[in-house]
Amino acid sequence: MQVKKEVVKLPLSVDERWDLIEKITKQTVEFGAYKHTLKDAIAELTVKPLTGIPVAIAVLYGFWSFFCDFAGTLFTDGFMVKIFDEHWLPWLQSVFPGGLGNPVYALMVDAGHLENGVLVPSDNCFEAFGVLTSGLFVPFGVVLWAVLAFYLVFAFLEDIGYLPRLAVLVDTVLHKIGLHGYAIVPTFLSLGCNVPGVTATRVLETRKQRFLMITLLGIFIPCGAQIGIMQDLVPELMGWIFLTLAIGYLGFGYILNKIVPGESPEIIMDVPPYRMPTLRNIARKLWIRTSRFLLVAVPFVLLGCLIVGLMYLTGAMDWLASVLGPLLIVWFGVPKETVAPLIAGFLRKDLAVGVLGGLMEQGVMTHFQVFTSVVLLCIYFPCLATFALMLKEENWKEFLGSLASLVVMVFVYGGLIHLVGLMLGVA
Amino acid sequence: MKILLMGHPNVGKSVFFNRLTGARVFESNYPGTTVDFMKGWMRLEGEDVELIDVPGTFSLEPKDKAEEVAVKMLTENKDSVVVCVLDASKVERGLYLALEIIERGYPVVVALNMWDVAEDKNIRIDVEKLERILGVPVVPTTAISGEGFKELVSKLKEARPVKIEEIVERAGAGKEGGGEVAAVSG
Repeated sequence: MQVKKEVVKLPLSVDERWDLIEKITKQTVEFGAYKHTLKDAIAELTVKPLTGIPVAIAVLYGFWSFFCDFAGTLFTDGFMVKIFDEHWLPWLQSVFPGGLGNPVYALMVDAGHLENGVLVPSDNCFEAFGVLTSGLFVPFGVVLWAVLAFYLVFAFLEDIGYLPRLAVLVDTVLHKIGLHGYAIVPTFLSLGCNVPGVTATRVLETRKQRFLMITLLGIFIPCGAQIGIMQDLVPELMGWIFLTLAIGYLGFGYILNKIVPGESPEIIMDVPPYRMPTLRNIARKLWIRTSRFLLVAVPFVLLGCLIVGLMYLTGAMDWLASVLGPLLIVWFGVPKETVAPLIAGFLRKDLAVGVLGGLMEQGVMTHFQVFTSVVLLCIYFPCLATFALMLKEENWKEFLGSLASLVVMVFVYGGLIHLVGLMLGVA
Repeated sequence: MKILLMGHPNVGKSVFFNRLTGARVFESNYPGTTVDFMKGWMRLEGEDVELIDVPGTFSLEPKDKAEEVAVKMLTENKDSVVVCVLDASKVERGLYLALEIIERGYPVVVALNMWDVAEDKNIRIDVEKLERILGVPVVPTTAISGEGFKELVSKLKEARPVKIEEIVERAGAGKEGGGEVAAVSG
């Protein structure tokens, strides 16, 4: 073990303490006949592989459907897109001083884009890319609803006690990549936001496990905000995106497990009984998590919008695009304009996908390039908040290790996706 | 005075914390919900007392980062009263941690939480006798619904350090082996 423990000499030895406990409980605790209840029956059905796996698939599918229907279809498409694209954007375009071509107008409302050499106004909030348009549409029009939907179902699963059972089911698979079934908890949390996910790795026993987990989370697990906006932008690609990320998570985890020294011991884990969630607790968690999202994410998204806008205006983006263009085009097979979302991705992943959405609307990308870019955005850099937390949770060696893994991963995996695309003739 | 909430993972420490302080830390039904300590304040007989929600730990020999935090909190807060939260349906394992804390010389109050679950499982605990043997206050609680909290709070001031030898004696037999009784040096 790497931990220097403070040695405290206690009066009793371990055996003596257990002897004492036995003596005490013999006199004070009485176990009556135990009835097998319906709750126990359900509990068993959800951990035994034969019934448990179909249940898990059903639960995850239900989770996903709810996420798409509630966040995507009902709120984003049903209300928000209409409000933002049909009312907010045209209204701002009509009242904001300056007009198309004015730098302040471009930063705040609509940068417009060239069509046959003529600057034309945008007709949706992905494309406009102003602080007041895209900057508000991304967090409030799309991501908020995704985060709400995710955490609503997640809190429910948490409080019922389903997660430890899922952990038992995936234990065997995760052991192949040096992790323990319990790693499903940080992974799931990361699907909401990577920040609490990384913190939750503290329940893993060895530094090796924590390192593996943090690195894999940082690279392969998209957060709820990102998923929400991807789902809005490219719903038809979501299956492929998740599949690609899952293959990367497992495959790269397998390799990392082989090359990283250290142990991955078995942890004995408690599976708690199913409990009835209380509305109070669910509401409270939903509120804390959502407000935390709003507090952290919104300023970053607005700032990111401003930075990206400024880089476009000053020509810095074009310069970067021409410098990094060859690499992007040759190695990853994506157009040089992808540099913009990649820059935004340093701050917030949801914003980055939003920028990508703008490019899509302008029609500079093929379907496969969109797919590659979305996957690249997931894996190439954890957002700033996650990055800062990794620095705090890992020591320097581990942190550099995570960074190195990240760089290698992006190039190998990104290149591989391009290669597969070429072979399939879709790239 | 400070109060530390300690116990195994997933016995409901965070529910205690939220109930006692009115704070809002996460409660979930899986072990490892709290991986860092949380501080809050509660009123005790007109006095503001600091309450610390310690990550769950099985023993005082830490196995993971969260447990390290737990042990650190204990050694850093020597003047604390420890509320040791036990799962009433798994008293034995909980007592192990409680005894370790008692042996280190901390005043302890034992909360037999999830009392409702124990009742469902037909487990009967003689609270008075347990209290007599341990020499520390023992209170059955159901944190989710808040049962037993008033009693728990009223007993906080009664918590005293207890000599483990006395517990051994009261439990019915002299301490076998003996020998290595060292001063608790914290």
